[in-house]
Amino acid sequence: MTPSPADRPLGPYLRVEGLVRAFDGVPAVREVSFAVGPGEIHALCGHNGAGKSTVVKLLSGQLTPDSGRIVIGGQEVGFRDRQAAQRAGVALVDQELSVVPALTVLDNMLLGDIHVPFVNRRRTAAAECRRVLDDMGLGRIAPDQPLSALSLGERQLVEIAKALSQKARLVILDEPTATLGDVETEHVFAAIRRVAGMGCSVIFVSHRLTEVLGLCDTVTVLRDGRSVATTLAKDLTVDELIVQMLGAAPRRLSAERASGQADARALRIEHLNVPGRLTDFTLTAQAGRVHALAGQLGGGASDVLRALAGLHPRATGVVTLHGRPIPFRDPVRAAREGIAFVSNDRKSEGLFLGTSVARNLVATRLPALARAGVMVPRRERRAARSLAERSRLPPHRLDERVTALSGGNQQKVFVGRCLDDGRVHALLLDEPTRGVDVGGRAEIHRLLRQAADRDLVVVFASTELDELLELGDVIVTMRDGRIVSRYEGDIDEARLLRDMTHGALEP
Amino acid sequence: MIHRSVAQPDRLVPATALVIVLIAFLASPLISGKPMAVFDVYNALQGFAQLGLLALAIGITMIAGEFDLSVAGTYALGGILAVRTGETSPVLGVLAAMAAGACIGAVQGGLIARLRIPSLPVTLATYIALLGLTYAMSGGLSTTYRNSDATLWVDQTVGGVFSPRSLLTLAAFLAAAIMLARTKLGRELRAIGGDRRASRVAGVSVDRRLVGIFTASGTLAALGGALLAYSYASANPDPGLQPLILAVVAALLGGVSLAGGRGAPLGLLAGTLSVALLAQIVAITALPDFSTQLLYAALLAVIVAIESPGLRHIVDRARARYRHDTPVAEPDR
Repeated sequence: MTPSPADRPLGPYLRVEGLVRAFDGVPAVREVSFAVGPGEIHALCGHNGAGKSTVVKLLSGQLTPDSGRIVIGGQEVGFRDRQAAQRAGVALVDQELSVVPALTVLDNMLLGDIHVPFVNRRRTAAAECRRVLDDMGLGRIAPDQPLSALSLGERQLVEIAKALSQKARLVILDEPTATLGDVETEHVFAAIRRVAGMGCSVIFVSHRLTEVLGLCDTVTVLRDGRSVATTLAKDLTVDELIVQMLGAAPRRLSAERASGQADARALRIEHLNVPGRLTDFTLTAQAGRVHALAGQLGGGASDVLRALAGLHPRATGVVTLHGRPIPFRDPVRAAREGIAFVSNDRKSEGLFLGTSVARNLVATRLPALARAGVMVPRRERRAARSLAERSRLPPHRLDERVTALSGGNQQKVFVGRCLDDGRVHALLLDEPTRGVDVGGRAEIHRLLRQAADRDLVVVFASTELDELLELGDVIVTMRDGRIVSRYEGDIDEARLLRDMTHGALEP
Repeated sequence: MIHRSVAQPDRLVPATALVIVLIAFLASPLISGKPMAVFDVYNALQGFAQLGLLALAIGITMIAGEFDLSVAGTYALGGILAVRTGETSPVLGVLAAMAAGACIGAVQGGLIARLRIPSLPVTLATYIALLGLTYAMSGGLSTTYRNSDATLWVDQTVGGVFSPRSLLTLAAFLAAAIMLARTKLGRELRAIGGDRRASRVAGVSVDRRLVGIFTASGTLAALGGALLAYSYASANPDPGLQPLILAVVAALLGGVSLAGGRGAPLGLLAGTLSVALLAQIVAITALPDFSTQLLYAALLAVIVAIESPGLRHIVDRARARYRHDTPVAEPDR
């Protein structure tokens, strides 16, 4: 299916001209034009709400444009559905996974692929699946494993492997690396370069600007639903790219670092173990400082937080917060002792998607807002207002559904809900800025810094070097469920990455 | 250690149910004091035939994350249509019943898919409407089927324990099993039940599959009703709620989840056999009738418990407490 270099069409393979699409009269895409040549890796960048995801949906047959043209291989196309896009050779890695947990890895690879025969050829398909998984560095995953047994990051890798194996001529990847660590990301990039090398055009959407510049040939920046610039990646720096995206000089991203004064008030973790995940984790996290757990996916950083939040039924160890013991395996009692946990999956472990921003903000403090068990709307309102103000959410959007907000604002709602004085003493965050745009990220970082300034214990886990370095007063590097080192003050990027990937373990 | 493939709930549940009931069935002569007769097995399989197609019909919609209550109405209508049109040619009667079932299913599937409405209200309305229809057609009385050759044929013994009716039912299960396990269609069905949005994004024509699945469930239910009417030489305009409830019990014992995306026809087969065998055990041992209901309830309770997350959680806790010598922080409990 992939054309050899000899029969590549001349000129761009994909041309997008004057694309427009509105939702209920509100334009999401106002005027987007760009072109992608065969074998080119083309990035779409932009602030949240710039229209990237809508463009992706238009190109992959999930939406139809109000006006404008999409030309693929010299022919104008109008996709009615995903199947039509597939027939034209377009494969998609959706921002929200299109893999089904109830099916096996193999079934997911085959699902929805129009080239798959009606009657299964299990042996050939399994062998092909095995090869594709190995190419992605997923030797540990078996084709007949149910997808539900895989971690979120592994599911994302399966999703990407699936799209890249569909023998498409245009592959669109919408935030493919958002849930991945740096090692997994390298595997994905190698696979993307491989398909591009075979003449396949690639559209890559990402918030991780360093990645964009490292991987892509060309970058098109979207702002307010318009394509504002298309530039060769080698001529760009991250700062220049941010200027293009924001349309103004970028704000200073890194938060001020607190002076490291010691405090007796602390979250003390001793010999925390989770079978198969975490070995002998010991750390004293003082109040007033931001602690960063640095690790790749599966390195154990996220398991530390989940165990503390009472979400690992098999965790053992001793944990005290300001001298009081924290019970394990019981999220309700952990919360009562003052632990607030912001999961890396705000959709299924965070927000109540069917309800308003205000309701989401007050969801964890309902007893305080009720009189004799009945909610007092005035109190609820006041609490929501003050939380919105503190978490820098626009007050006029309090009554909107939380799903109407951008990813960045949704995350602010999730974090903002935990910013409760008096009751919360320790704030634990797993990937606090996953799927959040540059501006939202800076604001969330500021929120965490302020929480630490108000004498909370703040511990977060992240796989992103920039975030770890910007935000962490103390950085603990982890690998294979063990602590590698603990750093205070200056540490360089190379050291951090080495610890997380192949540094020597402490005995 | 249980093998991984058996440990999955959609196999563990039906396997456990069938094993428990089979042991009880084989042990039933101990209580009745009479040796097991081949006829007992035949009877159990006749019970299976009576329930099987209905359980399969509702089970496949449950795998796709839907719930087709109308199958009980289609079952009744199928019986009446087959009796009315199949007086001279029984095959014609069965085909008429199946065609009607297919139409009813297709219309419902179309509504559910196109309008994106939940299947419960749609199929409940259809169920009620179909009962009205069968009442109008029959005047509320049983319709007698006078073709005694057909009646004798469907229930004649084949190989001692089977009848054409139970063999047809088995064949339907096997066809569905092959369809679901070996074709693209089966994969898409389970995907739709597991995560509809993801299936759509992956490129599954969800709407078309939904129409298909409801058409299949209507057809199967009507066939079941037709065969039952031939066997009884009479069609009942209102079979009551019993068949529907037993079909759901069979589906749940078969490892199908109400949340969708889980289960397989062979599991449904095991579930249906469990229900039929249990009824036969009560008949063999001459227990009072109400004990059938109590036994169904007990079996269902056991099955639901063995796969409950709560139980797994308790087991995990116990393991964590006793296996590890590291101290466990568990104050004031």
